[in-house]
Amino acid sequence: MKQVSRRAFIAAFMAPSVLLYALFLVWPLLQAFNDSRYQWSGVSTTRTDIGLRNFETLFRSDAFWQSLRNSGWVLVFGGLSLVALGVGIAHLLQHSGRFARFLRGVFLFPQVVSLVAVAIIWKFLYNPSFGLIGAGAAVWGGDVAPAGLLGTSVTALPSVTAAFVWWALGFYVMLFLAGLRSVPSEVNEAAELDGAQGWRRFRLVTWPMLWSVKRVAVAYVVINVVNLFALVFLMTRGGDPDRATEVVLTYLYELGFENGTFGLASAQAVVVFVLTMAVTALVLFWFRHDPEGARS
Amino acid sequence: MRRALGAGLGLALYALVVLVPLVWVLVGSLKTGSEVFSNPWGLPASPQWQNYADAWSQAGISRYFLNSVVATVGTLLVLIPIGAMAAYVFAKYTFWGSKGLFGMFLAGMMFPNFLVAVPLFLLMSEFGLLDTMIGLVLVYVSYSLSFTVFVLTGFFQRLPNELMEAAMLDGCGHGRTFWRVMFPLARPGVLVVAVFNAIGLWNEYPLALVLLSRDENRTLPLGLADVVLRTEYQANWGTLFAGLVIVMLPVMAVYWVFKDKIHEVMLAGAVKG
Repeated sequence: MKQVSRRAFIAAFMAPSVLLYALFLVWPLLQAFNDSRYQWSGVSTTRTDIGLRNFETLFRSDAFWQSLRNSGWVLVFGGLSLVALGVGIAHLLQHSGRFARFLRGVFLFPQVVSLVAVAIIWKFLYNPSFGLIGAGAAVWGGDVAPAGLLGTSVTALPSVTAAFVWWALGFYVMLFLAGLRSVPSEVNEAAELDGAQGWRRFRLVTWPMLWSVKRVAVAYVVINVVNLFALVFLMTRGGDPDRATEVVLTYLYELGFENGTFGLASAQAVVVFVLTMAVTALVLFWFRHDPEGARS
Repeated sequence: MRRALGAGLGLALYALVVLVPLVWVLVGSLKTGSEVFSNPWGLPASPQWQNYADAWSQAGISRYFLNSVVATVGTLLVLIPIGAMAAYVFAKYTFWGSKGLFGMFLAGMMFPNFLVAVPLFLLMSEFGLLDTMIGLVLVYVSYSLSFTVFVLTGFFQRLPNELMEAAMLDGCGHGRTFWRVMFPLARPGVLVVAVFNAIGLWNEYPLALVLLSRDENRTLPLGLADVVLRTEYQANWGTLFAGLVIVMLPVMAVYWVFKDKIHEVMLAGAVKG
């Protein structure tokens, strides 16, 4: 009797969450794999099984590769900026005590406002006629094309990446600050006694001690970059100029919701999903262990 | 001394980089449309409070605001009880497959949700839930469960088992023990998780973009994005800036009140992920 009521309780308490999660998240994910086999347009109910031809179409399309390259570019340069600036600012913040809590709060402002607002703000900042950055560059003698930084293919992706870094950085500062604070004080004292100072001390002592935080940070960079959608969708109308800012999710939106090619869109989602898993596994493996930790 | 000065300077510079664009929007929201162009850096000649009234009524933002409140509150009303129930079971009971199930919820925290947008869209249209508030809320609940269950499991694990056992000895069943004793004890944690979720839900854009189409259903981020994309409206930037402030200010205020707790929750979610 007791056993039955325990089991019934567990089932009843788990059921709502498990059902919703399975129905709206797990099932669609499995469905994406299945849908990728079909040639299937818009609302029509007829769909033809074409095997792997959607993947073939995808791999032959320049836009697909362009979107992967652009996401990769943001991953590398956005990621490096986030980690470097995150560690640097956390380092500055480390010794500022009570003020640090206030500043950490300010630094997270961009994360709590909607990405829609962030996109609109940055679109304005880059506006060649009245934006702070557009106008500012002109004041300092910069040569901004009439189309503005977002309208010129060479500068568009770096400009979007800058907005992305502005939005995300606060979180990484917070992460690295927690990491720096978890470095045992004996380690810092020992480094002090050895006379390790400044950059040398950072490179040889602090940086290796941050390995677990670095691991979390790179995993988050991957997820943040793959999730990049609203910024591009709203800043450059989903990839302008000429796909210079096209990223994987804006391309998915184009295939699925602008062109209505559901099968092709599902195939693209499958490829991006597998790639994301692979890249995440790779970075987690790369940062798997503290090389110094093995000795202690 | 010189090093401390350098650090202070660096931090002040970063704080400026964060704040200047936000303040620029705030100042811009009080300018006339032409002032935004002619005087982008300066203060408005006379503050145009009218911009807020215009944004609220003419740009339809009052409607979007209401929809956002409904979507956010509606989601929390379902999410918090069912998420807490699952988290409690994960924290205090072991059963066949519990580890695997917990892992499945955890994996959702690192999953780029928008990848399933197309099959989700088709599923919702099959159920007749496309372009409905109910549909949006169900999806929001499902996509917020991972984080909610994960963080709340941590809270429940920290509550001592003795309290639970005492309640059971007093004749409470499993369910009564949860609702009468354990859930009230976890209330501070639940509140922070609710606030954190509320911020994310208030700001959510991509899923709403795919699932909603009628103007009367639009949430605030969706409505505002639409105002920007419709070029005709771009004549009056001042009103648009006021609209932005209306979206940003509530979350910034709520965030500031709870900021230390929210930082803890974000780090808890991050360190495990």
